Amino acid sequence: MKSFEIIDHTADVGIKAWGTTMTELFENAARGMFAVIAKDGCNVQGSKIEKKIEIRKTVDSLEEILVSWLSELLYIFNREKTYFSDFKVKSLNNDGIEAQASGVNLDLYQSDLYTEIKAVTFHNLKIEENVDGFSCIIIFDV
Amino acid sequence: MAYAWQGKLEKLDNFRWKIPQSHKPGMQVPGLIYANETLLPGILNDKALEQVANVACLPGILGCSLAMPDIHWGYGFCIGGVAATDPENNGVIAPGGIGYDINCGVRLVRSNLTLNELMPKLETLVNSLFNNIPSGVGSSGDIRAGAKDEEDIFLKGAGWAVKKGYGVKEDLEFTENRGSMQGADPSIVSKRAYERGKDQSGTLGSGNHFLEIQAIDEIYDEKKADMFGLFKGQVTMMIHSGSRGLGYQICDDYVKSMAGCLNRYNINVPDRQLACAPVNSPEGRAYLASMKCAANYAWTNRQCLMHLARNVFEKVFNKSWSSLGLRLVYDVAHNIAKMEKHKIDGKEKFLCVHRKGATRAFPPGHPDIPGAYKEAGQPVIIPGDMGTFSYVLAGAAGAMEETFGSTCHGAGRRLSRSNAIKFCAGRNIDKELFNKSGIIVRAKTRGTLAEEAPEAYKNVTEIVNVVHGANLSTKVCRMRPLGVIKG
Repeated sequence: MKSFEIIDHTADVGIKAWGTTMTELFENAARGMFAVIAKDGCNVQGSKIEKKIEIRKTVDSLEEILVSWLSELLYIFNREKTYFSDFKVKSLNNDGIEAQASGVNLDLYQSDLYTEIKAVTFHNLKIEENVDGFSCIIIFDV
Repeated sequence: MAYAWQGKLEKLDNFRWKIPQSHKPGMQVPGLIYANETLLPGILNDKALEQVANVACLPGILGCSLAMPDIHWGYGFCIGGVAATDPENNGVIAPGGIGYDINCGVRLVRSNLTLNELMPKLETLVNSLFNNIPSGVGSSGDIRAGAKDEEDIFLKGAGWAVKKGYGVKEDLEFTENRGSMQGADPSIVSKRAYERGKDQSGTLGSGNHFLEIQAIDEIYDEKKADMFGLFKGQVTMMIHSGSRGLGYQICDDYVKSMAGCLNRYNINVPDRQLACAPVNSPEGRAYLASMKCAANYAWTNRQCLMHLARNVFEKVFNKSWSSLGLRLVYDVAHNIAKMEKHKIDGKEKFLCVHRKGATRAFPPGHPDIPGAYKEAGQPVIIPGDMGTFSYVLAGAAGAMEETFGSTCHGAGRRLSRSNAIKFCAGRNIDKELFNKSGIIVRAKTRGTLAEEAPEAYKNVTEIVNVVHGANLSTKVCRMRPLGVIKG
């Protein structure tokens, strides 16, 4: 199964992500988002930075956790210029998410390949369940 | 992507098409799309019309869910969308109806230079602008604002910049809202939003934002052009930018927090990105007070950018900016919500007008336009793509009658960014523009150039002809680009 693909949107950019489990879907969605930010960014060298991500909030749907998860990673990226490439979701439910993300410090602002994501949107966001697991389409405002 | 609109669309006349209220359950009003036969096929192949129908489901919406001819698929609202809601009738405010780049907008600066006087120095000028105006993704600027300044910017907008010496009082006179909305509340802006706005004042940003040197090559309305101080052959400068990271964060904060309002206030919307709250609720008021902070920040930003550009002109021409006649024609917002007085069934009401990729277009005589333009109507500034024209229009009576004083905002995208990059593969866009039209382009990244290639956009002339034909705003003059700097 593919982990994600970048899809077309007239004004913005979207990804479709897949996962055999919900946690894998969340990890792949994060990979997809960083692939939008910089296409070849994953090949960069540098000393590894580990970050623990913990979001605690009780919500009605996992879609809300998904947007919060990606928004949090985006926020850390903007603040600390940490380009994440590896994600490990440890726990995930309607009360929040706990995960580990690792990446490198990188001044992508100088890179030719950079796309600025303004935000992760809720537009038509729905996590679908099928025989292979889960999938969803996420639109980013760029 | 073989999408095609399946719903009903009734042609009303050469410029207007209607989505009947029966299109989907929950629509409170019909949809009304401004377009012509040339633009329509492109619009039907985009998912934007469903978004027009979704917006028609917002509680308290009045008139029609409106779409300007530069309509294209957005998230929640379409780009080019206008919706007015009635706060007295449970009308809502939706952060998605303003967008992430709160008060993204354009300003036009005129000069007393003619094309012939400029040409020998054009390349030096463009290079110098490129080197002196911070642009690009996440760019931070020379105009530094401390924590106390940031609060002042949120409260006073462009007035803060003028007080600091980055411009003159007259600039405020020619800025929508005088560059500042009353009622901003810095105390409720999130820590994250403060953080993201901190060092980005006076920076252009990336994507479709730009600074362009232009020359007026066609006048359609001599009298109005004269009132705006514009003449054929005149050199002008256009600046397109917004509220940068601050606005993105404020929108993001409220799209998330307003999710809970849907249950709390029993609101049914077809798309989560349309999360909203009644204008007269604590959540609605808080969003509006935060949005105003970002709007004021954006006006400050464009004021600072103009100041930096004036400095560059002074150096290149070795004359003061005032003797070069670098005066602000006008500054308009095209992603914003405003509480405005409009006539509904002969009665004046205060409405919440959302404009997402749409420009205010107040007609002659409206009290909110500068005295010097009272007879002409509010200047409406319409940027095109970097290869073709931009336009100045004047707000017209039809806008007050039909669109809550609104008109289009630009060319509107035709190709997605990735399709634009595919389409332009192997091409050298800046070289092409120079060889074909003599346009000098400087951009931080090649990706931006391909994404923003002229082919990625609709024909701005078609767009402008629709709003002119529908009497939402009338053509005053046309500018052609000479030099462009992009992020």
